[in-house]
Amino acid sequence: MDTFRLAWKNLWRNRRRTLITLTAIAFSIMLVQASHNLSFGVYERMVDSGVRAGSGHIAVYRDGYLDGREETLNFNDGNLVNEIEALEGVSRVLPRLYIPGLAQSSRESRGILLIGVDPEREKLFNPFLQKLTDDEMIRSTDARDAIIGWRLMDELQIRPGQKFVVTAQHSDGTLHGELLRVRGVVQSGIKDIDSSLIMVGRERAALLIGQPGKTHELAIILRTAKLDRQVFPKVAELVKKQPELQAVAWETAMPNLANAIKLDYASSQFIFLIILAIVTIGVINTLLMSVMERMREFGVILALGSTPLRLRWTILVEACLLGAVAALLGSLLGSLATWYLWSVGINLETFVPETLEFGGVVFEPVLRATWDIAWMIKIAFYVVGLTLLASLYPAVKAGRIAPVEAMRHH
Amino acid sequence: MPLIELKEVSKIYRTGNLEVPALTDISLSFNAGEFAVLAGPSGSGKTTALNLIGCLDRPTSGQVLLDGKDMGEAKSKELANFRLQHIGFIFQSYNLIPVLTAAENAEFTLMLRGVAHAKRRQRVKQLFDELGISGLENRKPADLSGGQQQRVAIARAIAAEPHVILADEPTANLDSHTAEDLLALMRRLNTERGTTFLFSSHDDRVIAQARRVIRLEDGRLYDDTGLLT
Repeated sequence: MDTFRLAWKNLWRNRRRTLITLTAIAFSIMLVQASHNLSFGVYERMVDSGVRAGSGHIAVYRDGYLDGREETLNFNDGNLVNEIEALEGVSRVLPRLYIPGLAQSSRESRGILLIGVDPEREKLFNPFLQKLTDDEMIRSTDARDAIIGWRLMDELQIRPGQKFVVTAQHSDGTLHGELLRVRGVVQSGIKDIDSSLIMVGRERAALLIGQPGKTHELAIILRTAKLDRQVFPKVAELVKKQPELQAVAWETAMPNLANAIKLDYASSQFIFLIILAIVTIGVINTLLMSVMERMREFGVILALGSTPLRLRWTILVEACLLGAVAALLGSLLGSLATWYLWSVGINLETFVPETLEFGGVVFEPVLRATWDIAWMIKIAFYVVGLTLLASLYPAVKAGRIAPVEAMRHH
Repeated sequence: MPLIELKEVSKIYRTGNLEVPALTDISLSFNAGEFAVLAGPSGSGKTTALNLIGCLDRPTSGQVLLDGKDMGEAKSKELANFRLQHIGFIFQSYNLIPVLTAAENAEFTLMLRGVAHAKRRQRVKQLFDELGISGLENRKPADLSGGQQQRVAIARAIAAEPHVILADEPTANLDSHTAEDLLALMRRLNTERGTTFLFSSHDDRVIAQARRVIRLEDGRLYDDTGLLT
């Protein structure tokens, strides 16, 4: 207790210097915590948007399908959709068929990707469909209704309500065509999707390739992304019943998005590292200056009978207190900043178009933070540790001084 | 057996290739209860001798025996512990710790010895009453006069009741009236408590107060009025 009191008093010996250092550390903590929370908030939205339009938080495929998206690698989902939906944490399962083909109007033809979906299920979760009215939606899984990307519609020179034909390879090796009618138009903001997407009922798509009841993908949407570690093993267990099937996490199913996030966070971490390195240098500077200007006093303390170890301990406690106060203050500021970014966010609407695209995913241009309390605590402790580390050299130096020489210091 | 014994002690300081002898072949003994002064002009080796006796420095040759124990081979931790248990220091420029109050400064050695807070405060109160600085307990050193600071330093030196108190020019920074008061106080502590005082000075008025005068010149023993028996 005496050591703590002495260390605390020493810390405030040069009030202005301590306050400046404290502020610098606290602001750095705030910056790192708020940036991390904002990044993860944005990633969460991207993943959420990405998994809804793409593979789901977890996806089920035939073995090998992901390697080349070979159409023949489909499967019969049987009762799997219901069984997975019965699992705790699962919000919805979206079965899909993916068929590359050719769309032809009376004037133009274009290469397309036809996606066969269950419109009732898809409407609630797929962000591409959320702006469509009921009149623009596919009416049933076997209807000839199609939802089409706006660029593709322009290129085919057709309008909603007009007919066009989609041709794809049938399972018997021949080419088959299906007459479809434009019902709804998707404006995703992603060029590839807007110029190649056609969505139809799953049964209609299966008829085109002569594979009724077949599926290429079961996209599993969870109630929250954080549940994936709990749910994944249960899905894998269910899928085991059909040995040719495999369950994969979204990171595997959508490597572009996963890699884009990894790359973005790696660059953020590099910046965090630089911020923390600057903080460390600041702490070393403060503690070293504080030690150097107290040489004479340390000489007196040693002369009075303190051991070098006790002196070092006092300096380490000083650093620990500095780090702890800065961590508390920084975390408080970090929480306030996160709260603002979480409740209000950063609105980029005036700078960017209606939607932002990143890693092949679109999301609204309002950046909002998420709360990663565990990480915030971790970074606060990390800074205390860093402060302690920064105090090692000054502490060792102080313990090495000879009392007589130190007392000659002025 | 003498409390302190210096046997043919020499101390040479090295600055680069230059060797500066600070003490040469000094042999001295001090008994418990002495009130002795190391007298001599600046550079005569008084402070060096006190540093060696106080285990703050090691001799280049010769032996320093405290209570019969040769301190030359002791490790720095042992020396620190010996200083804590047996020696009290009073410095020329008081050397109080500026962030601590007068009471906290006075109880510093007791704190290092691990004495409980309540006991320390009790002892400090008693000492402050005795030294005439009662009421200054909560003042910081910067708010005290030179004489008051030196009294706090004396309180710090005697709080743990060491065997010997070493004072390096204790009155050098004080006016003559305060210096006289302080010396009277040190003498009283020596007479009433039997505390051994060994101090250095070049001021004749201070030297005249000592019961034993050891004169040093150019690091050599010039005169010794004799061991108190």
